[in-house]
Amino acid sequence: MSLEGWLALLGWGTLVGVDLVSLPQMMIARPLVAGTVAGAILGDVQTGLKLGVVFELLQYDILPVGAVRYPEYGPATVAAVATAHAAAGALGLGLGAVVGLVTGLVGGISLHVLRRVNSRIVSAASVALESGDPRVLLRMHVGGLLRDVLRAALVTALGLAFAWTVPPALTGVLSPRGAIVLAVAAVAAALAAGAGGTIRLVGRGPNLAWFAAGLGGGIVIAVWLR
Amino acid sequence: MAAVRPRFGRALLRLFAVQGSYNYERMLGLGVGVAEEPLLRGLPADGPVSPYRAAVARGAHFFNAHPYLAGLAVGAAARAEHDGAPPDLIERLRGALCGPLGSIGDRLIWAGWLPLLSGLTLAAISLGAGWTAVVAFLVVYNVGHVALRWWALRAGWEHGVRVAAALHHPLLQRGTALVGPAMACAVGLALPLTAQYLAAPFGAWARAVLAVGAVLGFLALHWLPGRLTGLRLGLGFAALALVVGWVWR
Repeated sequence: MSLEGWLALLGWGTLVGVDLVSLPQMMIARPLVAGTVAGAILGDVQTGLKLGVVFELLQYDILPVGAVRYPEYGPATVAAVATAHAAAGALGLGLGAVVGLVTGLVGGISLHVLRRVNSRIVSAASVALESGDPRVLLRMHVGGLLRDVLRAALVTALGLAFAWTVPPALTGVLSPRGAIVLAVAAVAAALAAGAGGTIRLVGRGPNLAWFAAGLGGGIVIAVWLR
Repeated sequence: MAAVRPRFGRALLRLFAVQGSYNYERMLGLGVGVAEEPLLRGLPADGPVSPYRAAVARGAHFFNAHPYLAGLAVGAAARAEHDGAPPDLIERLRGALCGPLGSIGDRLIWAGWLPLLSGLTLAAISLGAGWTAVVAFLVVYNVGHVALRWWALRAGWEHGVRVAAALHHPLLQRGTALVGPAMACAVGLALPLTAQYLAAPFGAWARAVLAVGAVLGFLALHWLPGRLTGLRLGLGFAALALVVGWVWR
């Protein structure tokens, strides 16, 4: 991949990382969107869609309420698509998922660290904030935003570094059959997380019947299309 | 209240970054204060202890709610400041809004509108719609997103300290009631279609392993809530698969 390609992915991953919490929460951070655009940047939309679907299912495991800690799958999906594109073939999906999962874990930790850093800075500036000076308030807020931009860029860069180094390192180690096992494991985990997260979201109330109706309809369509 | 021309546009733009300085001490407080500040212009601002400065300082105190509905608190608090409401009443108003705005927003958006559209998009991609489904997701989602933020800000300003009335708006009440079943149906529809889409490149034995793995993973997540997450399951399955793939050449 060209340097321009890596830089475009770095820029896109950073935007995606900032969108998750800070600005503007328009859901480009959703893996479906992050993966598809990453695929388009690489000229490989199908791989972007496939990894986007895998990580979108994993995202169902997360309900971002309150100050709950969760993995960050946006930049992770960008790194996953870059890995899968570099590995190509049967090896791509599984390796991409592994790189994405590790990047998602790091992203989640980085969000927690950023919030703790922000807390310390806000705590130290509490007297200045109580003065009601709007310039102080704006400076504190913009500072938090810029720190998130830096955080998102670092997480994406780390994910892309994995994407650059992991496929050549594992191509000789895994057989084609091993690559399929890895891809199956990633898809199985995604489907399990998607189903588990949905069941938690739906609960045991009246929505469960609607879920069952949708599930039945989906099975009928899937069988019909075979 | 003195005649003021509220700067809704500027406040709305700032609301898009309401979580920009998210922290465990004041949560969204700073972002809410920054968004509220344009609406506070017009308050007397002479001297270091002016009503304007006192209101800006109050606006940046602790606040936590769903980010899309934070505008309701921003508009209501700014209007209350212009109406000359006592400071402790405004503080209580902000505090009282945290719970309802968080709860309604979480049910309406995070557990409703977002997974509903995500489920429909997953189903559409699985049926071959490709990237156009993703574009449609972004457009439709954000029509609702931006409309909700705009409505919340205007409704907060309109109602002031009586903002609780806005929480009974049909948009919120009926929307929350309708979006839950629609979400459940859409995601239910998407799951088998997505499974078929992702399993398409695999042969018979791989599909059998996939089915067993997905069921075992689902049961493990169900039986170990809190301890096992999707991320941990994925990393565990991947580690196991790497060992199996290395041994089984």
